[in-house]
Amino acid sequence: MNEILTQEKSIYIQIKEMIENDILRDILLEEERVPSTNELAKLFSINPATAAKGVNLLVDDGTLYKKRGIGMFVAEGAKKKIMEKRKKHFYDDYVKSLLAEAGSLGITKEELIAMIRESKDGGIEHE
Amino acid sequence: MSNLTAKGIVKTYGGKDVLHGIDLELEPGKIYGLIGRNGAGKTTLLSILTAQNPASAGTVTYEGQPVWENPDVLRHLCFSRELNQMTGSNANTMKVKEYLRIAATFFPYWDKEMAARLVKEFDLDVKKRISKLSKGMLSMVTIIVALASKAEFTFLDEPVAGLDVVARERFYNLLVEEFTETGRTFVVSTHIIEEAADTFEEVIIVDKGKILLKENTQELLDRSFHISGHEEEVDKATAFLDVYHEEHLGRSKGVTVLLKPGQSIPDQYDVSIQKLNLQKVFVALCGEES
Repeated sequence: MNEILTQEKSIYIQIKEMIENDILRDILLEEERVPSTNELAKLFSINPATAAKGVNLLVDDGTLYKKRGIGMFVAEGAKKKIMEKRKKHFYDDYVKSLLAEAGSLGITKEELIAMIRESKDGGIEHE
Repeated sequence: MSNLTAKGIVKTYGGKDVLHGIDLELEPGKIYGLIGRNGAGKTTLLSILTAQNPASAGTVTYEGQPVWENPDVLRHLCFSRELNQMTGSNANTMKVKEYLRIAATFFPYWDKEMAARLVKEFDLDVKKRISKLSKGMLSMVTIIVALASKAEFTFLDEPVAGLDVVARERFYNLLVEEFTETGRTFVVSTHIIEEAADTFEEVIIVDKGKILLKENTQELLDRSFHISGHEEEVDKATAFLDVYHEEHLGRSKGVTVLLKPGQSIPDQYDVSIQKLNLQKVFVALCGEES
């Protein structure tokens, strides 16, 4: 939860993604309480209603669940679910824009594939 | 807890209308941002809402009772004015200590301990006269009065105008902290829109004595976009939309659009679509010289 807010995206979307990132990185564990909307509001100096809007997106998709009177908790299986969801969006979020930029620079698909294959960055190991 | 309701507020100064029939409903438990250009009528509106200034026409009510000269209602309201070294008000010859002591008798829910804590945190010299304070210190006094008043509806007029960036960040933090702990309603007017925007649940835009817009901040931002590209493509993409603030450079064109419910930006045209921040939306709506 120690990323900073930027202006590229809606604040509540950033709150939602920050919580997801913390779950992916095991900063927040399953069945663990997540910061309350008031805690998030104070941390980022944002309106609690905006923080709640972000948190509620995660309640709606089942990543978090409410325990009445106690707070919000990370649901069991949330990490796997977030990974699957992000994989699904990977093409739209990254590959499309990669191909568009490559296209306008005249980089062919073959050159692109070669670039990816030779790249030393990234954490993907060969199967 | 009840709404503060303004109906048909008109204010005339020397035959000139400063406010033209303002209707405004402020709900308890929200932080509102009040933004508008210089001379739009923000301070006049705030002073009328808090009965520090009579309206030429219209009413302000709280729990169904008029605010004007009504101590039962006024005890729930605080308007912490922007202090100024130059204005010849009585406050200026007072020491900070005296000013705060008067505030303590004026606001029935005054939190003495909080005022003392903030004086210490801001490192304010209470023995100094108001007229000898720097702009930053004047802002701090305004903020201390507003927060320590503990009034149900608290109005701050340009609270951060004189503060440096660190102190401004601290103010937003204090505001949110106080709000989460008490749920008091705050109305904050500011010209430094962007850094305050995230603290506002709703934004009220005042333009030329009228309320141009009152809307949930996030919802307003979610429907505001900047569209740019080749003029012909931009014109086609925005043909059926509400367009503001056109800018041209050669063949390229940029516009701001505010989508209405059910509208969307058609995706078959070669244009760039970008999100806007509140400051840009404000400039697009109020920036045209008329």
